[in-house]
Amino acid sequence: MRHLPKHLRPRYRYLAVEVEAWPNAELDRRGFQATLWAAARSFLGDADSAALDLRVVAADFWTGGGAVIVRVRRGTVEQARAALACIDAVDGEPVRVGVRGVGGTIRATKSKYLGGPPETCTTEQVDFRGESGEAWLRKDRTDVRIDGQFVGATPEEL
Amino acid sequence: MYEAVRVAADGRTTPRRFALTLSNAGFDGMVLRTNQSAPIDPPRESIATEYGIDVVRGIEIETDDKAVASGAIGNWRPKAEVLILNGRDPEMNRFAAESPRVDVLADPMGGDGDLNHVIARAAAENGVAIEVSLGRVLRRSGGPRVQAISNLRKLHDLIEDAGAPFVVSGTPETHLQVRGARELVAVGEKIGFSADEIETGLRTWGTIAERIRERRDPKTVVPGVTVESEKDDT
Repeated sequence: MRHLPKHLRPRYRYLAVEVEAWPNAELDRRGFQATLWAAARSFLGDADSAALDLRVVAADFWTGGGAVIVRVRRGTVEQARAALACIDAVDGEPVRVGVRGVGGTIRATKSKYLGGPPETCTTEQVDFRGESGEAWLRKDRTDVRIDGQFVGATPEEL
Repeated sequence: MYEAVRVAADGRTTPRRFALTLSNAGFDGMVLRTNQSAPIDPPRESIATEYGIDVVRGIEIETDDKAVASGAIGNWRPKAEVLILNGRDPEMNRFAAESPRVDVLADPMGGDGDLNHVIARAAAENGVAIEVSLGRVLRRSGGPRVQAISNLRKLHDLIEDAGAPFVVSGTPETHLQVRGARELVAVGEKIGFSADEIETGLRTWGTIAERIRERRDPKTVVPGVTVESEKDDT
């Protein structure tokens, strides 16, 4: 179909969203998009969801997290924040979703609010809380697996 | 703005990791709410300097026995910077609201809890802040969430009518459950709170901690009167 004339095209805003999960979680764009739609429909309802027109326009997922650009119609950013805040898990993996910033174009939003690729992550055996566990180490944080469950900690605590 | 996080010795997120996550999310402070039966006391000052956020020692009393609660209040009041009593039961809600030594009545609508105008006014008179807990709105869905939202709407009206102090929290139990202040505001706005109210509620945790610290300051004679310099009159 022909493009709409400029004054009839919807205007969008772009939300830079960071996603954090336990370090072995495999997330993908499709799962995140489906969860986002489900969260919006469940919290805001069908009518508001349609008004928001939420869409994942760029996504970079790695093991244990990701960075996503979500497009919404202008004037609905706060509702989109609420829907994003209600995302508790993606494909059964618990996640933390945080909005880093909002911009007017994809490129500007990406370069201003989303950093480069994830920090390198190494694993090693450590002692933690009197037990031996496997630690996924990053520069400022670490997740230790004890008895099959992860504990979020910082490198200073090992 | 402050967030109140649940920490325990065997918790899934350590206080330091919470501090890192909250400071990245833009909070100015965190209240460590630890259960009175298994309290932990991490080095608050070193965490505060490292992550640049205020760390407040909160003690959470969880019981359905008033005598136990009463004893715990006496025990923990001198040590806690924010003393939190869990409601979740109409009788405990009333007990908390009528105890001026309690700082926060937590989760009054959780479990079988309910609140009425009498309890809300008692809380206002005694300066007990009522907690607006957004946890169930963020992490439940369907019927239980609808119930939680309608309870919070009722709570909002009661707080407004009584002019009671209140605090707002997302009650995260792991760092993955932390949501930013602006996200909490956005959620609050959808369920009947104004942005201003949610922000005030998030700040009130800090106000309470500051009041208690001031009262404990050896320079304070009575609330509002402090010794600035001691002069020898002889």
